[in-house]
Amino acid sequence: MTIFIQIRDLRKTYVMGKSTVHALDGIDLDIIPGSFTVVMGPSGSGKSTLLHLIGGLDRPTSGSIVVDGEPLEKMDENQLAEYRRKMVGFIFQSFNLVATMNAAENVGFPMRFARTTNRERRTRSMELLKRVGLDDRALHKPTELSGGQQQRVAIARSLVNQPKIILADEPTGNLDTASGYGIMQLLSVLHKAGHTVIVVTHDPRMQHFSTHIIYLLDGRIVSEAEYQAASTFDFAETSEGETTHES
Amino acid sequence: MRFIDLLRLILDNLGRRKGRVMLTAIGVVIGTASVILLISLAIGLQKSATSNLWGISDLRRVDVYPGYSEAPVMMEVGRSSGKGDVPPGMKILTPQTIEDIKALPGVTLVTPKQGIYGQAVLKSGRLENYPWIQGVDLDDIGVFEYPMQGGVTTLERGQAIIGGWVAQQFYDPKQRPGQDPPAQPDVLGQTLRLVLTKWTQDGVMINKTVNIKIVGIMSQAQAEQDSVMFVRLDELTAWNEWMMGSRINYNRDGYNQLVVRAEDPDQATEIADAITNMGYQASTSQSVVQGINSFFIVLQVVFGGIGAISLLVAAIGIANTMAMAILERTREIGLMKAVGATNKDVLSIFLGEAAGIGFIGGIGGVIIGWGGSLLLNMVASTFMPSNPYGGTQLATSTPGWLPLFALVFATLVGIISGLYPSLRAATLVPVNALKYE
Repeated sequence: MTIFIQIRDLRKTYVMGKSTVHALDGIDLDIIPGSFTVVMGPSGSGKSTLLHLIGGLDRPTSGSIVVDGEPLEKMDENQLAEYRRKMVGFIFQSFNLVATMNAAENVGFPMRFARTTNRERRTRSMELLKRVGLDDRALHKPTELSGGQQQRVAIARSLVNQPKIILADEPTGNLDTASGYGIMQLLSVLHKAGHTVIVVTHDPRMQHFSTHIIYLLDGRIVSEAEYQAASTFDFAETSEGETTHES
Repeated sequence: MRFIDLLRLILDNLGRRKGRVMLTAIGVVIGTASVILLISLAIGLQKSATSNLWGISDLRRVDVYPGYSEAPVMMEVGRSSGKGDVPPGMKILTPQTIEDIKALPGVTLVTPKQGIYGQAVLKSGRLENYPWIQGVDLDDIGVFEYPMQGGVTTLERGQAIIGGWVAQQFYDPKQRPGQDPPAQPDVLGQTLRLVLTKWTQDGVMINKTVNIKIVGIMSQAQAEQDSVMFVRLDELTAWNEWMMGSRINYNRDGYNQLVVRAEDPDQATEIADAITNMGYQASTSQSVVQGINSFFIVLQVVFGGIGAISLLVAAIGIANTMAMAILERTREIGLMKAVGATNKDVLSIFLGEAAGIGFIGGIGGVIIGWGGSLLLNMVASTFMPSNPYGGTQLATSTPGWLPLFALVFATLVGIISGLYPSLRAATLVPVNALKYE
């Protein structure tokens, strides 16, 4: 099977004062083209860091990420910018829409850095807004849209440069249950359209749409069993603590 | 990123923060306006000064005075004379000097100018006047090219031509305090009395009165000729001899001054240099004009520098505004980078915004500076006296290059002030920028 994204011994270390935090501690991972990978893990497990490194938003401390045969660590700043522009579409938890631009302008924003004409930009933005069901909201500013609608605009924006990879960091984190579910369905549609989707989430419902699930704990990939055990252990420990306190 | 997209993005971004952009630009407006206004003022003063100077003095004229230099003395000096000793080492102006200077190439006229050695009062009825009496060895003072208020420029014995100011300065010696000054007599064509006064060795005052007809009055020009009364040199020499009680020999005593005229104004400086080399003192309007010009260039630099201080303050304002904008828009910068903007794109956007503030302020400053300059001229033309020589009477003068220069300078100030904040924005790590709260 072809490997689209190959990650080997990936490490990311942050030095905070005198303490050192290993956000990623030796990740090995292969992602096949057209897959829908969900990365699960508690806060601080390193899942967002992993997503940022795959997206070229940050550089690893060591290890390698090879995307479509190109090692990211060998790219300079301009090449990384081009990689982000052409290969990757980002979806963020807090949408990151520009408040002063309307929906269509927000969708077309990445195209401003891709030497496209105004007309192309407008046509493409409207097409994508229609695809996410917001063509009637094209001229609305983000503040005039609901959270779910804002995330749909962000998804449309992530698609504007026709990237092969969609990276979503907690895309449903700021949404209510119904809106969150709608976003999951939309991501599933993108996956079915051929995009390689990687989603970092806490939301267990996302697993129903995925082809692969990765569990992260303390910067390492663990098995589902280990992950469940860790979650249960945490819970048991807390309960025990409370019991002890009561007695 | 296409240039047109960059421009649109910059304009959109500036439009998003109109209030702050305008407030920051006001600093640049004040700076640019003061640069334009102050430099215009310096140029205006220069033009006004030099044009007036060119009006009052003939560019072909060289004034020659006795030399006090250490240069070798060509003739014997230092013997006693009626008017006192000629200081040793002084090089006096003699009839021979006139011949020597006449021999210089490009010289068309050399004529002596001589003052009176004692007191002389001009009387019209009971009114009196103390003109600056100058004897000239000319039949016609027209060669000096002084504009005339009335009368003729030809001069004979028993005649005088007076300056415009002299004609207005007759006073009543018996006038009491609080009394109105007397009406000025119309002296043109009138024969007045010139009373010469000398004292004997015993201290006895002796007066001599000569009749003199005023045949011409020169126009007032705020210049040396205003207070002059020109008479024939031979007549003045006779009066001086009466005052000194001895014969005057110009070969021995020398003239006060020689007036030299060059064929062409461009030769005036050369002739002056040649005369200086002969050991005399020579000055031309040209050298005065050059001196004044270099003074005004210094003035322009100083004035421009004062204006530039306000631009410096404005530059700090721009730097502060851009630094604040970058803090506020850190997440937006992160987003730009996440969607594929290069460091150069981000740098161009923020530098463009800073340049935009400079440019907007520059435009405002040019309008206000230029407008203020025109306004000052209107005020000046209303309140400043007109120049009889037609010289420009402008308070300010704004050359075409100045607003253009100021606009480019203001934009450059914007770019330079925005450089540090923009570089910071461009080099932000995308993930850190996106996480910024």
